[in-house]
Amino acid sequence: MILAAILASIIFLVSLVLIFTEKINRTIVGIAGAALMVGLGKLLGFYSESQAVAAVDFNTLGLLLGMMILVALLEPTGFFQYLAVWAGRVSKGHPVRLLVLLGTVTTVVSMFLDNVTTVILIAPVTILICEILGISPAPFLLAEALLSDTGGVATLVGDPPNVLIGSAAGLSFIDFLIYALPIVLVTWLTALFLLRYLFRRELAIKPRNMKAVMKLNPAEVFEDRKTARRVLIVLGGAILLFFVSHFLHISPAFVALSAAGVALVWIRPDVKKMLEHIEWSVLIFFAGLFVMVGGLEAAGVFEALVRLLEHANAIPPVLFGVIIIWVVAGLSAIVDNIPITIAMIPVIQGLGAAGMDIGPLWWALAFGAGFGGNGTIVGSTANIVVATLSEKTRTPITSKLWNKRGLPVMLATCAVATILYILVFPLFPR
Amino acid sequence: MHIHDCMKSHVFFIPSTASISEAAAVFVKRHVGLLPVIDDQGKPIGVLRLADLLSLELPDFVNLIADVEFVHDFGAVETTRPEPELLARPVTSLMKPVMTVEEDSGLLRAYALMLQHDLMDMPVVNAKGELVGIVSRVDIGTAVLSIWPTERKSP
Repeated sequence: MILAAILASIIFLVSLVLIFTEKINRTIVGIAGAALMVGLGKLLGFYSESQAVAAVDFNTLGLLLGMMILVALLEPTGFFQYLAVWAGRVSKGHPVRLLVLLGTVTTVVSMFLDNVTTVILIAPVTILICEILGISPAPFLLAEALLSDTGGVATLVGDPPNVLIGSAAGLSFIDFLIYALPIVLVTWLTALFLLRYLFRRELAIKPRNMKAVMKLNPAEVFEDRKTARRVLIVLGGAILLFFVSHFLHISPAFVALSAAGVALVWIRPDVKKMLEHIEWSVLIFFAGLFVMVGGLEAAGVFEALVRLLEHANAIPPVLFGVIIIWVVAGLSAIVDNIPITIAMIPVIQGLGAAGMDIGPLWWALAFGAGFGGNGTIVGSTANIVVATLSEKTRTPITSKLWNKRGLPVMLATCAVATILYILVFPLFPR
Repeated sequence: MHIHDCMKSHVFFIPSTASISEAAAVFVKRHVGLLPVIDDQGKPIGVLRLADLLSLELPDFVNLIADVEFVHDFGAVETTRPEPELLARPVTSLMKPVMTVEEDSGLLRAYALMLQHDLMDMPVVNAKGELVGIVSRVDIGTAVLSIWPTERKSP
């Protein structure tokens, strides 16, 4: 059995290294790693096909798929561009107001919808607004990525790590609003004020032509109001159901997929085109990781790990949570936070099985994975999106700029989150 | 009929040593859409299009947003000029690879090349590869039409 644990660990660690170094596409690693794990399990008799299927968390996949379908329906309607143009008009061309408005719009939308899609659609309009104003778009793009990543931590559906944690720990939509939202709100405001300070020189430049922004007409970019209205009504219904899903004993995945079903029946889009907007690579990557982690569990790796961590009980629980925030944040800054979260979940579950009080640790994991991504350009997909887009402009966002403006935001958000975490620690559900 | 018979042999060009702003002055003075860039042996080594120069001034969002119709006022963009340092750079940094046609080429071959490579004008070279003229789609097209058989009058 020792051999099984060692070989299974090697498969998982090699996969992680390949994902982290981006030597091979992560979805390919996910499929190949999962196949290897099942093969090894069958050979040594510790893992079977049915166990592998059972290891896949369909609650996570269903929730992600359902929300992806809603976004795919909303994407072509021009709704996102409408919001960005609206923010531009309301700001009347004042840079600070524009930063706050665009940051807020991006954050609020990405609290409920995929923030990568949100940023992909809002960033080009941001560049447009900045160019007609005659100011550099870099501060605004950076703020959109950083603020939407930060804000996404507030809800169960805000970012993929939360979906994973919520599913594994049985945390409901309301749990996130009670225990994550207030902390995220303070952290988000910290990030906003820090960005305002870091970019004080850029934001002090008076735009050369503020009137041009007022001639942008949001209504003209909103191409398909009818479809957008239907998606938003269904989305609103889904959010209401998320609130009560815990009491009705229905899973968030069921809510999301039902909403997707209702929206599809109501709108009846070109299915082939709609499905092209679904990020299948993400779903497959998740499934592969689940199968691999299931193999680790079956091979007894986590049991051994928890036995190693038995002395962890000697560490004060608050300190343990703080360590998780910073270790996970540090890792999330340099690599994808999804595999980190998926790998951390069984460890925390193991600690729970060993008698540790793990309730507060889930929140530490969510904060670390969420805020850590702000540290570098590769820390989150939204960061990569704005950096890549800005390369097509005359003021590209470089790693150097990110180190000066993004890294301080990550450190500040993690520090604020740590302080709040310590303060509210006794209130976390056990 | 060959390209030689329909090309414009009075051709404007710029030397490869010219700067972008010098090239811009030639465009303004000659009112043309394309200038061949030639080396010191008179051979074309690239072309500079009016559009290449304008791309220096065009805002970035035009390439990011599919339909800019809703942008009724380009605001600061309309008064933003390229940096002087940018305009001091040599034309070789902005020129595109040249596609030439030999002066003894047939008309339809030249026209097909322009069609497939999406060119409106093409520099013409002699057997030694030296620039001897320039030909447009209109030059070739009208030359082809001019030799179409005339309608026979019914008796």
